[in-house]
Amino acid sequence: MRGQDARRALAAVTVALATCSVSGCVSPAWDDHDYALKAGATAQAAASSVELVRLAVQGEHDLTTAYLKVLLTDAAESLGSVNDQFGGVQPPSDASDRLRSQVTDLTSQAEDEVEDLLIEVRRGGIEQPDEAARTLERLGSELRRLGEAHR
Amino acid sequence: MKKVFAVTLGILTAIGGFVDIGDLVANSLVGARFGMSLAWVVVVGVVGICLFAEMSGRIAAVSQRPVFDLVRERLGPRAGLVNLGASFGINLLTLAAEIGGAALALELATGVNYLLWVPAVGLTAWLVMWRVRFSTMEKVFGLAGLALVAFAVALWQLDPDVGELTRQLTSPPPDEPVPTYWYYAIALLGAAMTPYEVFFFSSGGVEERWTRKDLVTARANVFVGFPLGGFLSLVIAACAATLFLPAQVQVDTLGQMVLPAGLALGKIGLAAVIFGVFAATFGATLETALSSGYTLSQYFGWQWGKYVRPKDAARFHASVLVAVIVATALILTTVDPIKVTEYSLVFSAAALPLTYLPVLMIANDPDYMGDKVNGRFSNFLGTAYMILLVVAAVAAIPLMIATKAGQ
Repeated sequence: MRGQDARRALAAVTVALATCSVSGCVSPAWDDHDYALKAGATAQAAASSVELVRLAVQGEHDLTTAYLKVLLTDAAESLGSVNDQFGGVQPPSDASDRLRSQVTDLTSQAEDEVEDLLIEVRRGGIEQPDEAARTLERLGSELRRLGEAHR
Repeated sequence: MKKVFAVTLGILTAIGGFVDIGDLVANSLVGARFGMSLAWVVVVGVVGICLFAEMSGRIAAVSQRPVFDLVRERLGPRAGLVNLGASFGINLLTLAAEIGGAALALELATGVNYLLWVPAVGLTAWLVMWRVRFSTMEKVFGLAGLALVAFAVALWQLDPDVGELTRQLTSPPPDEPVPTYWYYAIALLGAAMTPYEVFFFSSGGVEERWTRKDLVTARANVFVGFPLGGFLSLVIAACAATLFLPAQVQVDTLGQMVLPAGLALGKIGLAAVIFGVFAATFGATLETALSSGYTLSQYFGWQWGKYVRPKDAARFHASVLVAVIVATALILTTVDPIKVTEYSLVFSAAALPLTYLPVLMIANDPDYMGDKVNGRFSNFLGTAYMILLVVAAVAAIPLMIATKAGQ
């Protein structure tokens, strides 16, 4: 009977671990190195969304409003989710605090920029696409640099 | 002339019908992340699906019975039940992904949230299956799926660096871990050889009352239509490799997937591609929903098929309806349809031997096939593929866990 309980417990733990490993749960940071890796991955994911929005903004005149709205909504949600997930990981030291500020400053800026663009699209179109593309390009490169420094 | 028209129409239908949400998502995602370095898997997958679809079409034409009908008879009820459980579960997951894909395409066209479209897609799919003739349904959505050819025009307009794309064929990106590369290789194989394609192809052959005389049409559909469908898959991957790989953009939504067409061809090209995505996913919704009914009915020996009056095949139609309701409900839980697609591909890969081994066995059985049993070449290739599929099936789930589903 005890053996059966142990097997059930083992099965439950295995299922929980497998579910967590494929569902993208964010595990805590064990040390500074682990935290830096998470920061790098966060910056890379944010850079991907920013670059995508930059491509869409540059070709805005070739895309329908409905499509652009969906694309920007998805990108804003993705950036929000990246921000929330990384924000939930506690930095293990003062050095990690600084890295945290660097990453969250950039990802928050990116989220705000995409949300502003989304508002403009809903109001009839992006007012200054060239300027928006330049801002996104800058944010994208900074995020990419940060991501590459911590991989 | 009539025969040539029928064959051409069948080929065109097969091209459009080959591509579904799994192919769209997997090829775009892989192209953006690995360039063309996994193109070889698409080729291996297309050869595999041609090989086994030809066998299942031949089985249907010679025996006038679909594959699943013979699985239970040939393997016995217990092995047949294992096969049914795996196939039906994966089919249901694929059906949910296709419904989600069609709803996402409508969202891209209208800007209205996809969750509002999901019940409408489910209901329309059921009405089409209930009211529209099998051949009309197959041809309309297969042909409409040809709008995806716009991706080929988009690739040309994007003016890709052909030398770079060719270089990528043999050079995976160095910063991608090896297990992740193989995880996506298995997902692509699952996308090209999705089990429902074989069930639908052989049951469709019976629905259309194929005989030995129709073997030419069946083979033309398989050997011309499917490879051209595979070509579309490669073009989608090449579009993603051209636009997204240099910008290091990872594709994880359907909206991102169609962006290359919009940027290259403008609003008309974007509309054509979104229409093609809708047609391909809605057509696949019908195929997977019917396949759910086909597999259940054929295993339990119920009357089945769209040619039979609904009141004479009540359990078949009830199975289809319940499958559509369950799949629609799954997508309405707000689970990400693209994630459902990714998991359905890996689970498909894990169950591929269960689907294809019985096909290989029955195609070799003279009791069913008479003089139309497999030749030596088909058997050699079939055996080689079975080894490959077993390896992929064993590796699929461990790789999914080890790579956190390819993250």
